[in-house]
Amino acid sequence: MKEKKYSIFFIFQIILSLTAVLAVLLPIFLSKVSWPDLARNYLEQNGLQESGARNLVSSIYLGYRAFDTLGETIVLLVAVSGTISIISHSGLSLAKGFGEDEIKKQTYNSISGFHRTELLDVVTGKLGPIVLIFGLYLMLFGHLSPGGGFQGGVVVASGIVFMALGSKTDSSTWLQEGRVLAKIEAAGFLFLILASLSGIPGGFGFFGNPLSATEASPVIYIIILNIIIGLKVGAGIGFMCIAMLGKVE
Amino acid sequence: MIERILLIILFLIGFWGIIAKKNIIKKIFALSILNSSVVILYILEGSKIGTNAPILEEGVKNVVDPIPQALMLTAIVIGVCITALALAIAFRLYRYTHTFDIDEIHRKLHDEPF
Amino acid sequence: MTILILILLIVLSLYTLSSRDLLHGIIALSAFSLLSAILFYILYAPDVAITEAAVGAGVSTVVFVWAIRSTERKDKG
Repeated sequence: MKEKKYSIFFIFQIILSLTAVLAVLLPIFLSKVSWPDLARNYLEQNGLQESGARNLVSSIYLGYRAFDTLGETIVLLVAVSGTISIISHSGLSLAKGFGEDEIKKQTYNSISGFHRTELLDVVTGKLGPIVLIFGLYLMLFGHLSPGGGFQGGVVVASGIVFMALGSKTDSSTWLQEGRVLAKIEAAGFLFLILASLSGIPGGFGFFGNPLSATEASPVIYIIILNIIIGLKVGAGIGFMCIAMLGKVE
Repeated sequence: MIERILLIILFLIGFWGIIAKKNIIKKIFALSILNSSVVILYILEGSKIGTNAPILEEGVKNVVDPIPQALMLTAIVIGVCITALALAIAFRLYRYTHTFDIDEIHRKLHDEPF
Repeated sequence: MTILILILLIVLSLYTLSSRDLLHGIIALSAFSLLSAILFYILYAPDVAITEAAVGAGVSTVVFVWAIRSTERKDKG
């Protein structure tokens, strides 16, 4: 069969596929059109007054294009709930060849087994609160320096994983329980919907800033949105990681 | 110009990995590499018109375009959601068929009916 | 500088897809995320750099290691 592999049909296929790839990709290399800078000029002049945030990226995804952020939180909600439901039902699968002892041996995958060392306790258990404080700082100061809701939320999720890894079985914090994290995530989504509808009674539209007409600075709305998104993302991803570690039922 | 060529090569490496590798975990590696290459392309193209990060302190002029960066934040988070869900499905397939090889899984799922 | 980092990214991705031990591939993927976070910082994008570092080298690696530890670790057997 080997001598039929390099027949004329095969070579023709290779040449055709390479021509197709080059025909699609070559205009990218040969284009001399420069990147348009109209949007950058507008944002540089008006971004600070209209939304109050010095970080222009925050003012885009929480002010001008906040609808994309709503879609992204929905995707995160669906992914986290789908992953947890797929994981938690697989231990009871009655696939072929699975006996009772095999199920017991393979669902005993929690960290608090007999292979713990002191290194894990000291390093991760003591570093956990520091990582949580760093995540809160990123959430609250996202409008003045690099940071924001998503970045702070993922760092808070890492902090939750640290504290779950470093705790012994008799001293676990309330951050590790599944019910608390699931309630925080659901509450965060509810508050996001409420915050998005709060601009409508004043006539500012969906996701409009309700503080535009008053004398307060419009940056408070962005700070509130950052906190809500950070809590939601942190609780969701933290719950998913803790369910993977096997510490929640 | 040469950076675009290197990024196209990275994209094609990820694409080849999804098609040609037999292990499911290698396919998911290639999915993540594909996602990262597109994100790098957008940020690279957006950074050519300025010389400063888009944070308006006092006296900062000529910033980089901030719109591709805001779009890529969403893209990175969605990429990790896709990876987590794909790995959960691969884990479930392993529980049922005891292997990660895609040919073995195909054979087992089609030869032994439910 | 960006050309050097892009060449290193190509080498790391080739090692990820052709290693025999899956744990080596996961560590190479984590180094890939770290290098691309450095690349984002060089290209004046600090927000994207923080997100890529926290997500790629943090959450993504944890999820991959979980998928390996309760199943098998060798490949191309």
